[in-house]
Amino acid sequence: MASTRTSTFVLPGDRLDPASLPSHPTLPLKLGPGLRHIPPNTITPTVAGQLCTDKRKNAVWVEFNGGRYIPTTGDLVIATIQNSAVDIFYASVSDYAPKATLPQLSFEGATKKTRPQLSFGALVYARVTHANKHMDPELECVSQSTGKSEGLGPLTGGMVFDISLGMARRLMLPKPVEQGALVILDELGGQGVAFEIAVGRNGKVWVNSNSVKGTIAIGRAIQETDEKALKIEEQRKLAKKVAREI
Amino acid sequence: MPREVEPSVNERQFFEKALAENLRLDGRAFDQFRDLELSFGDEFGVADVRLGKTRIHTNISAEVTTPYPDKPFDGLFTITTELSPMTSPHYETSRPSDPEILLSRILEKNLRRSQALDTESLCLIAGHKVWSVRADVHILSHDGNLIDASCISVLAALQHFRKPDTSSEGENVTVYTLEERDPVPLSLLHFPYCVTFSFYPSTVEEGETVILLDSTLLEEQLREGSATIGINKDGELCQIAKLGGISVDAVAFLGCVQVALARVKEISTFVIKRLAEDAKKRDKGDLMAELRAENDR
Repeated sequence: MASTRTSTFVLPGDRLDPASLPSHPTLPLKLGPGLRHIPPNTITPTVAGQLCTDKRKNAVWVEFNGGRYIPTTGDLVIATIQNSAVDIFYASVSDYAPKATLPQLSFEGATKKTRPQLSFGALVYARVTHANKHMDPELECVSQSTGKSEGLGPLTGGMVFDISLGMARRLMLPKPVEQGALVILDELGGQGVAFEIAVGRNGKVWVNSNSVKGTIAIGRAIQETDEKALKIEEQRKLAKKVAREI
Repeated sequence: MPREVEPSVNERQFFEKALAENLRLDGRAFDQFRDLELSFGDEFGVADVRLGKTRIHTNISAEVTTPYPDKPFDGLFTITTELSPMTSPHYETSRPSDPEILLSRILEKNLRRSQALDTESLCLIAGHKVWSVRADVHILSHDGNLIDASCISVLAALQHFRKPDTSSEGENVTVYTLEERDPVPLSLLHFPYCVTFSFYPSTVEEGETVILLDSTLLEEQLREGSATIGINKDGELCQIAKLGGISVDAVAFLGCVQVALARVKEISTFVIKRLAEDAKKRDKGDLMAELRAENDR
């Protein structure tokens, strides 16, 4: 990956050094989260965080550990069903925010007759299909192109744990070890601990294993890695301790 | 007003399964408190208590007022609590919610009616001038067990507070500033701390109850009943509040009181230790050390 985490720490309203932005002969510059373009040619951060750039995609964004999740198209989230209408479920993606809609037919193999019956409080792993400022977000539990669930759908059993949004992003990186300095899951797997996990970008992680004790230990290990910002070595030590306890 | 966020089905089921296996979600024992942290502010009477992720800030202030006509010898002591939207977005500022009323009533019962603060010592001139001591409890973060945490916070702040020294000549009262005379501590008669128990019907044995101490927000949302016991470290029971919920076996309840006493002893030792540390930090030595002009560099 060409993405680089610079050591530049930016504050809202800072003047960005043009040299810190990527330049590409043909592609237009893409602004990611936390940056704002003020015409004609000023780019300022709107949040405090680390400035990241991707030369190949000609993109620049600010990596920050914000508190509230704002839905973005394509994100995988863990949503809680609140109520159901004629052909849609209303699901909560982040607390005290407008409910997202989830069509009852957007599950794998769902037809008018065989659609899932989800009651209040059920959890689903879903993808955000529409998200913008002025409308409620929309979710789906099936891939539009293949018609398969691809891991999405209702989550039964297990337990959800709250994590920070930054941690959720780190867990979902394509290579968490190299890019996010996160080895806890790999180490736990390496120690022979069997578990299922689903990470929601809305700061939730669902863990299931064959014992209650194991699920609690894994969930708490992830939370501890997040809250105490554990280094790679400390994560290895923690994983060993957890594996011994289970 | 948005509705309170309720736990999902998975969380409910998992919590039940965990209780059946004698496990808590944060790995604590059933009768274990979360890590208690207590720090004091730069001014007297400011205490900040952290119990896990619950955080409570208490500020004590005192002013001279006239007493109530029916109690001319008693000073005033008021506790104000407010659950603001900062605590959780479903609390409103305009209308007190049920948990807020419960919290303030239990604190009132535990601290005011048990005469923890000797209000007669606040009297300056009978019928005319008394000290009015006010405790403002600010709940900064809510992760369960607000009652115990606020009680620790108020009692720690009261012990830390110093009121300005006064002298009276006939009808005239002089209030000295902190520079003129050392302020005096409040006269506290005893320290009744609260311990809250949460009850859950046992799924393993019919008719048994599982009892948890210092519940988190999730545990509080899922509990079927609770009881708050106010007790001081000498074992004097000040109040018991069990407001509805499932019935608890009398012997088990007596056991709760014993557990409460043990916890309160730990809490009061901790608070006294922290107060001593703070006093040591404030103590600059004798008068000469205080008047010294040169700084540490």
